[in-house]
Amino acid sequence: MGNFKLSRFVDNNRALLMLMVVFIGLALTHPNFLNSYNLTTILKSASLYSVVVIGFALIFIIGELDLSVGAIVMMGGMLAIGLEPQLGWYGSFAGAALAGVVIGLVNGLLVAKAKIHSFIVTLGMMTIVLGLMHIYSGGDTLSTEDYDLSDWMDTAEIPLLPPLVIITLCLVLGANFFFNKTRFGRGFFVVGGNKETAWLAGLNKDMYIVLAFVISGMLSAIGGALFSMSLAAMPANVNLANNTLMAVLAATIIGGTIMSGGKGNILKCYFAVLLLSTIFNGISLFGFSYDIQIFVNGVILAIVVLYEAFAVYKHDAVKGQNPKLLQSMLLSRKR
Amino acid sequence: MSQVENVAAESTNSPGRKNRGKLQISKTQVVFEKAGIYVIALILIIIGSMVSPQFFTVDNMLTVLRSISLLGMVVAGAAFVTYIGEYADLSIPAIIPLSGIVAVFALPLGVVPAVLLGMLAGLMIGVMNGLVIGYLRANPILWTLAVVFFMEGLMRFMMSNNQIYPDVSPGTAGADFIGMYRSEILGIPTIVVVMLVLLAISHWVLRRTKFGQQAKLVGSAYEVAKTSGINVKRTVMIAFVLTALSSSVAGILITSFNKTGVYYLGQGYDFQAVTAIVLGGMTLSGGRGSIVGVLGGVLVIGLLSNLMTFMGVHPFQQKVVIGTIFILVVGLNQYQLRKMGKDHG
Repeated sequence: MGNFKLSRFVDNNRALLMLMVVFIGLALTHPNFLNSYNLTTILKSASLYSVVVIGFALIFIIGELDLSVGAIVMMGGMLAIGLEPQLGWYGSFAGAALAGVVIGLVNGLLVAKAKIHSFIVTLGMMTIVLGLMHIYSGGDTLSTEDYDLSDWMDTAEIPLLPPLVIITLCLVLGANFFFNKTRFGRGFFVVGGNKETAWLAGLNKDMYIVLAFVISGMLSAIGGALFSMSLAAMPANVNLANNTLMAVLAATIIGGTIMSGGKGNILKCYFAVLLLSTIFNGISLFGFSYDIQIFVNGVILAIVVLYEAFAVYKHDAVKGQNPKLLQSMLLSRKR
Repeated sequence: MSQVENVAAESTNSPGRKNRGKLQISKTQVVFEKAGIYVIALILIIIGSMVSPQFFTVDNMLTVLRSISLLGMVVAGAAFVTYIGEYADLSIPAIIPLSGIVAVFALPLGVVPAVLLGMLAGLMIGVMNGLVIGYLRANPILWTLAVVFFMEGLMRFMMSNNQIYPDVSPGTAGADFIGMYRSEILGIPTIVVVMLVLLAISHWVLRRTKFGQQAKLVGSAYEVAKTSGINVKRTVMIAFVLTALSSSVAGILITSFNKTGVYYLGQGYDFQAVTAIVLGGMTLSGGRGSIVGVLGGVLVIGLLSNLMTFMGVHPFQQKVVIGTIFILVVGLNQYQLRKMGKDHG
C-alpha cells in the first residue's frame, strides 16, 4: 500500500513537483537560466496569469466556466491606460477594477438568476467586451508617456521581487488564505460540490455564484491593469486575450482543479502558472519560437486532460466492485 | 427502437394536450418554441426592407446565403455534438486549416484525391476527439481546446509560420481547386448547394436513422441510454467524426476561397458555430432541437450582419450587437422552456 500513497502524494502535488523537475532540468542544461535577471523575468511574466488564475479557478471550483476572462483582461488593461490622463493612476486602476466588477456582476446574475448556462453567457460576454474594447481603442495600441509607474513596478528593490511580483504574491496568498481558511471562503467549495446540498445546508447558493463571477471579473481586470501599467501600453490584440485564456485554463487544470466543481487549490494553480512560465522561458532561452510555446502548452493541457479522464475511467471501471476480489480474478485469468 | 420514437413523439405532442395540471401553455408559446428563430429571421427581413429597398432582393439574399454557407456546412456536423450533450466541439478552428493545408499539399495528385486526403486529415482529428471524449469520457470543452492549441502550434511550426499557395496557372489542378468556391450550379453558387445538401443529410441522419434516434436518447439521458443497451461510447464518437467531416468540407472550400492554406483560416468558426446551434434551439443539455432550427440560427446570423452592414454599423459594433442578441435569445428560449416545464436545469 505504500506505493499507492506515493502516487497519491505525487498526484496531489503534481504542479509543484513538475515545476521543480523543469526548474532543475533547465538550471542544469542552460548556463543563463539561474541568473537573477532571468528568474525575475519568469516571475514577472507569470504575474498576469497568476492574478487571473485565482478568479478562473474559483469559477471552476463553483462548477461553472468563465470564457470571458481574456476579454476582461484586455478591458482592464485598456481602461487603466485610457483613463489615466483624467483620473490619475489610482483612479484609472479603480476604474478598471470597477468595470471588471460590473461585467462579472452581469455574468453572475445571468448565470445564477436567469439560469443561462455559463458557457453561453461568458461566450456572449467575451464577444461583447472584445467588441466594446475595439470601439474604445479604435483598434490601436493605447500607450502612456508616464513611465515612472512602470519603472517602479519593474525595478527589483528586494532581490528577485519587483513590486509587480510582490503585489501578485500578496493577491495569491491572500486568496489562498481566504478560500482555504475562512468559513465564508469554504462556502464556495460547498456550493461547487453540490448546489442542492449547499442550499439545504443554508448557504445562499445564488449569492455565492454571483460573487464568484464578480471576483473573477475583478481579478481579471486587475490582472490586465497591472500588466498594462508595468508595460505602459496595451495592445489591442485579440491574441493576448486568447493566450491568457489558454494559459490560465491549462494552469487551472494542471493545478488539480476539476471542472465539475468542489475541488481545487489556488496555491497549486499558482505553481502551475509558474510551471508554464518557466517552460515558456526555457523554450525562448533555447531559441525556439513562439509556435513551440503554443504547441507545448496544448500538449501539456492535452496530457493532463487525458490523465484526469483516464483516472476517472479506471475508477468507474471498478466502481461498486470489491477490488481485492477483482484482483484475484484477474490473477486467476492470467494463470 | 420504437420505444425511443414513442418517447420522442410524446414529447413533441405533449404541449398541445389540455390536461397538464397547472401549466398554462398558450399556442403562441408553442409556436415560439418550434419556429422562434424563423420569426426572428422574418422580423429581420421586415426591418431590412424598411431600411433599404435593396435589402430584400434576390441578389442580396443570395449574398446572405453565400456568406453563411461555410458556417452552415460546419454546423451541419457540429450540431450533433451539442445534440448529444457534449457541449461543443471547439477544435473546429484546427480541423478547417488542417484539411485545407493537406488538400493544397496533395494537389499534384489531382483535385479529387486532394479533396479526399484533406477530408481524411480532418477525419483523423475527429476520430481522435471521438476516442478521447467518447471512450475515455474526457471533458469535451477542455480536450477540444487542447487540440486547437497543439494543432495550431504544430501547423505553425511545420510550416514555419508561412502560408502555402497552390499553383493556380490555368489548366492545372490548382486552378480547378480555387475554382471550386467560385463555381455555380444552375445559377446558384456551389457552396450554397453544398451547404443545403449537407444540412439535408444531417437532418435525415438526425431524424430517420438509428444513430439519430440513439443520439437523442444519449443527449437527453446518458445513463439511461447506457443502461438500455445503447453503445453510448460509439454514439458520442460518431458525433465527433461527423463534426470533423463537415468541418473539413468547409475547410477545403475556405482554402479554395482564400487561395492559400494557413493555420488561422478557421479562427472564429467555433464560437460562430456554437452561436448558430444554440440560437437554432439546441440546448447545451442535449437531446433537444432540430437541424431545421439550426439552419434558422445560421440564417439569423447572416441576415443580422448583412442588415447591420446596410445600416452602416461598424464590424466592432456588430460584434457587440450579436453577442447581446445571443445571450438575450438563448435566455428567452430557456425561460420559455422552464415555464413549460421542459427544462430541469
